[in-house]
Amino acid sequence: MTALRAFGTFEIGRLLRSWKFLAITVGFPVIFYLLFLRDRPAGEVVDGAAPWREYLMVAMCSFGALVAGLTGGGGRLSMERASGWARQLRVTPLPPWAYLAVKVVASLVVVLPVIGLLEVLGATFGGVQLGVGTWFGLAGLLLVTTLPFAVLGVLVGSVVSPEAAFPVVTGLMFVLGYFGGLFGPVAQMPGVLQGVARALPNYHQVSLGLGIVGGGGLGAANWLILLGYTVALGGLVLWRHRADEARATT
Amino acid sequence: MALSLVGAEAERRPAGDPDGWQDPDGWQDTAPPHPPGEDRAGPALRFDGVCHAYGDHTALDHLDLEVGAGETLALLGPNGAGKSTTIGVLLGLVHPRSGHVEVLGTSPRQAVAAGRVGAMLQSGSGSGLPPGVKVGQALRLVCRLYPRPAPFDVIVERAGIGSLLRRRTDRLSGGEAQRVRFAMAIAGDPELVFLDEPTSAMDVASRRWFWEMIRDLGRRGRTTVFATHHLAEADEVADRVVVLNHGRVIADGPGATLKAAVESRRLRFVVDHVDQAVLERLEGVTEVTVCGTTVALDSLDADATLRALVHAGVGFRDLEVTGAGLEQAFVALTGCGRRAAQR
Repeated sequence: MTALRAFGTFEIGRLLRSWKFLAITVGFPVIFYLLFLRDRPAGEVVDGAAPWREYLMVAMCSFGALVAGLTGGGGRLSMERASGWARQLRVTPLPPWAYLAVKVVASLVVVLPVIGLLEVLGATFGGVQLGVGTWFGLAGLLLVTTLPFAVLGVLVGSVVSPEAAFPVVTGLMFVLGYFGGLFGPVAQMPGVLQGVARALPNYHQVSLGLGIVGGGGLGAANWLILLGYTVALGGLVLWRHRADEARATT
Repeated sequence: MALSLVGAEAERRPAGDPDGWQDPDGWQDTAPPHPPGEDRAGPALRFDGVCHAYGDHTALDHLDLEVGAGETLALLGPNGAGKSTTIGVLLGLVHPRSGHVEVLGTSPRQAVAAGRVGAMLQSGSGSGLPPGVKVGQALRLVCRLYPRPAPFDVIVERAGIGSLLRRRTDRLSGGEAQRVRFAMAIAGDPELVFLDEPTSAMDVASRRWFWEMIRDLGRRGRTTVFATHHLAEADEVADRVVVLNHGRVIADGPGATLKAAVESRRLRFVVDHVDQAVLERLEGVTEVTVCGTTVALDSLDADATLRALVHAGVGFRDLEVTGAGLEQAFVALTGCGRRAAQR
């Protein structure tokens, strides 16, 4: 356990000191939020019962989850495998699962400032008015539902080379974000694309978030689909690492 | 995983606080920390008929090997001989297809998890270090991963990296990164240290310094296994040299013995009339190479060959006697070994 704690502290400290990384993870969603905010009247109902101002805040938080997971896990993990550091850790008493677990937790920690900042911007510039409990509830919900994206990042980092990491990460970020309904409400998409969106995790994270904001309650199906993604992606990560071990290089 | 030391040893060395040690020289550690109940002099590691293959390529072919506690062993062999695979198996990174492996009386995985093993792996093109942090931070982390780390200052001094601690890990030269990785290998004060081609990126001076580091581990009672493809390095540093080729042990003995067995000299001279048949019959000669008027004789006994040369009345001049190249010695060694294996 001391090894786990030491590595967790090291890893999270390293992420929080890496201003380039933070600038990307925090900067992207915040800039998009400010850019899109005036696109439509704040009160226009865009998705179910949710007005634009609330939809956009939640959607950009979800985008932040995607960015934090993919760049935190994906890019960095891939680099660490290539540099030999991941292998060096394998010959220390740090359990192999702890390395992956810490990577996932680190992505969750990094998404917190994104959610916090967007909520503050939503409340000040965005005209979103919520009770104190709802603000915290929304932050907590968005944090928990970032889990599948953190696991996705670890999977990408475990599979791709550092050269491929950048295109794969950016590609996934925009494909999942766009088709998951983060840059335009799913309700206003053509029928086929709506089906695609409902199969992707971001749509369900946004739905849960809007459920809290609008007081409409949380859909069990949304939870189940996010859980399914987490389990499936986690299974792929474990499978990948088993395979890695079996054919370790000469 | 909770393997703790008993008695005074444990009190002297608080776990997880490598910084509390201000006086490196005051830290005596001549005895390797044996966990309770394992004082009996069992081997530090044992291979029993271990086989491994990558696809069709055989990496280990019924490898048998036993290394005693406190031994310094060199694994010598050309690239692809199975050195890295052997070390990978000993660290639990590679699961052999068959055979039995024991490290410090337990499985490789458990020995690593208990922090009783340290390793410096080949890092390929990378530095083997975490990107974007300072050397000191990375080393402190590695110390904290072990239950009984050596004092931080002692590690830094031994690895000679005091001036690198504030440097970022991505701004190190190849040789500097090797030193840092060596520091990481000894950070947990392990009983058993594996070094996979530790001097590959080093210049001559660093290499000599590094040999001294390995000898120092031996003096402090640590079992050390290092892979190399330099006979001189193996001979210089190890108590015992095991030569691997095609995944098998083809020679095993003290470095000096091995070297003597392959000690070969080359006599080169100029002669006007060459009678190759005469030269080939000279005592000790294994090979004759004639190039114009220049003759090169490879001999297992240069003194006897020279006497025979004079005795035979060969009118040679410009005589030059050199040791055969190490590579040549190695070829001879692996050649002998293959014949021995076939017998």
